Amino acid sequence: MINEQTMTSATHSKIEPVVLQADGPDRLLIVWSDGRRSLFTWGFLREHCPCAMCRTEAEKPKPLLMVLKPQEAQPPRPVSMEPVGRYAYHITWNDGHTSGIYSFEHLLALAQKQGIQEGV
Amino acid sequence: MATYQPGPSASFGTPPPPKLLSGVKNIIAVASGKGGVGKSTVAVNLAMVLAETGASVGLLDADIYGPSLPLMIGICERPTADPRTGLLTPLEKHGLRLMSMGFISDAKTAVIWRGPMVHKMITTFMGQVDWGTLDYLVMDLPPGTGDAQLTITQTAPLTGAVIVTTPQDVSLIDARKGLLMFQQVNVPVLGIVENMSYFVCDECGKRHEIFRHGGGRRASEELGIPFLGEVPLDPRVTLGGDQGAPVVTSAPDSPASQALREVARNLIVQLEATAAQRAPLPTLDLTGIGK
Repeated sequence: MINEQTMTSATHSKIEPVVLQADGPDRLLIVWSDGRRSLFTWGFLREHCPCAMCRTEAEKPKPLLMVLKPQEAQPPRPVSMEPVGRYAYHITWNDGHTSGIYSFEHLLALAQKQGIQEGV
Repeated sequence: MATYQPGPSASFGTPPPPKLLSGVKNIIAVASGKGGVGKSTVAVNLAMVLAETGASVGLLDADIYGPSLPLMIGICERPTADPRTGLLTPLEKHGLRLMSMGFISDAKTAVIWRGPMVHKMITTFMGQVDWGTLDYLVMDLPPGTGDAQLTITQTAPLTGAVIVTTPQDVSLIDARKGLLMFQQVNVPVLGIVENMSYFVCDECGKRHEIFRHGGGRRASEELGIPFLGEVPLDPRVTLGGDQGAPVVTSAPDSPASQALREVARNLIVQLEATAAQRAPLPTLDLTGIGK
């Protein structure tokens, strides 16, 4: 028999995306399980890639004249966006960058930073 | 689910990895923080009890450095690959489909690998083995919160995790770390099992709490995690494990077997509750982006 006193629910209250939708060519809409809606530009997400290499680059002073490779000169766009386990998305970018794993927590924090988070 | 056809701007990207274990309804990771708490014993016996219900069950020994499945289940053959598909065919015994590093490496040879090799082997076991359609896949994880755990939580669509501990604090400290790891990566913890919970003397019937008692239940209450049950110390568990005849078959009426059956019943309840509340994560339809 199951001891009801100790058999609490195994589910948890972590917020997860319930809808992932392209909002035109430039933006991503995420609807979260608590009803929040977050809009991101792809450029903002690419700029805030959480991988170690990008974080290190972000801390370096920017050169006065940026020289871009051809693939870096086009607007950032995702090539794929796949779930990583149950806690993140892995985005492959059109500039060839593949190492960023965007945890849900990171995406929620970015939504606040970008300032276009919408309530419902 | 929409599929994405890469356009011209997608040429720099790598294709998304194939979906692993798509034919498995429930994937259960059996984990602990500390080694030696009886994680493999619990995993093997849980798999056997689940199979007794008529379910199709697989058991994946994800402990690359210290595989114990061949000994505990009593089989040590090399798996063969299907020439048509190239997929490894899992071994079968006691009604379980089985895969372990112990089937591939010599029992007397140490596997001395760095993390990337462990990652590769575990993803091979998940993606290059013909598991077919399963109701349950029990994954026996190595102790700790390292490479193997990270690979599995990132790549396998886990239904949830079972944490095995022994009653004493030194084990519970690490069990909590394992539990927190699963919570951090959003994998539901289905419950805690307290193994080696107590010992009842065959001669006098007196109960001895050799490693103390009740720590698993207390931890579950503190952390709001289901408590799945306590399994007593029983020499028949050890004997069955060493002889390739898990206790639920070699001594099915023993207190340990009865306790393991109760753990399995409670686990099934938690699996059903979890599955009912967890829809697959949404995927993104990229049609129209980048044109």
